[in-house]
Amino acid sequence: MSGPGAAGNSPLIHRGYVFGLLLRLCLTFAGGVGILSVILYFALSRPFPGDYAGVFHALRNLSPFLRPILAVSVLVYALLACGSTSALCVYILHKVAGPLYRMERVLNQYRSGAPTRTVSFRNDDQIQPLAHAFNLWIGSLRRDRRRWLAMMMDAERHCLQDEATCRAEMEEALRKIAGDMARYR
Amino acid sequence: MKNPARQPRQPRIRYVTPRLQGSMMLAFAAIIAIGGAIFWERVDSAFRRVFLHAAMRGHYAFDSAYDVVRDLLALHLAGLFVGVFLASSVLALLLVAATRHGIGKAVDSLRASANRDLSTPTGSSPIREFDRFGENIDAARADTLASVLTIRSKAAALAAGEISPEEFRLRWDELKQRIRRIAP
Repeated sequence: MSGPGAAGNSPLIHRGYVFGLLLRLCLTFAGGVGILSVILYFALSRPFPGDYAGVFHALRNLSPFLRPILAVSVLVYALLACGSTSALCVYILHKVAGPLYRMERVLNQYRSGAPTRTVSFRNDDQIQPLAHAFNLWIGSLRRDRRRWLAMMMDAERHCLQDEATCRAEMEEALRKIAGDMARYR
Repeated sequence: MKNPARQPRQPRIRYVTPRLQGSMMLAFAAIIAIGGAIFWERVDSAFRRVFLHAAMRGHYAFDSAYDVVRDLLALHLAGLFVGVFLASSVLALLLVAATRHGIGKAVDSLRASANRDLSTPTGSSPIREFDRFGENIDAARADTLASVLTIRSKAAALAAGEISPEEFRLRWDELKQRIRRIAP
């Protein structure tokens, strides 16, 4: 469902989005660990020398030799994992950050007094109820504004009659509008 | 007439809020770096111990160093994956919870505004970006409330005041213009 009511009652963050994020993180880290294991496999799988003394010395001296290899392979893992997680972060969080950015622009536009259009997010964006709540507020303001203007125009119609009736109707309309506005707090 | 199909498509910018997306990137990078450092430190000390033990034991029934540390390495790699994934999942879930909390407050505030409550503050959020967004909403609501209250006081003054018909008409029109400027 994609009607306005459905958008208003839909969750801020969908469960599918959260599962998708966790699944992508899982795949990213699994890929990183896979690459690390491949690097370490190639570093460690060189055959030992054939004789007993050669194997003994190789095993005795292997640890200091492996230390920088281990450090470089962990660094490669960290760089790859950080790079792919950063890309994932930008892509996934764009579904929240994008609508937020758009809403901020609309709010700035509203505050500057420029005409405000109905806000709508993309289908796959999260935080859809935010757009719905904003549209609800602007809609309620516009309904009130139309009612107040209608009251004023209704009072103006009496100006076709005599001046006193016109003035009395206008003052009555103003009192009604002021009373109506008192509900705002 | 312009053909819309020929217009070049603008690249979609995805990195829109550095404060939110950038800080999350740094947090994930810190988890990965810490996980990598712990893995390196543990595997290095384990390798030293295991290779020394294997050298002293004799009976070299293996062809390469990989045969000696295969199980140990698999265990540590699994530990690295589980540790980093769990820590990142917790961070991701915290972010989701903070988003629900922060944006939820903004939604509640806008819904209250639709019921003419423009003064109750949106409230703070654990994430600065959402906090700032709440402040923006509050500023828009405060502007609207100030505008409505000004119109209200002017309307009440005009309804009560003993002023000339010309002056009344002038202020009436001015008031109408002010009302038209609400939520244009």
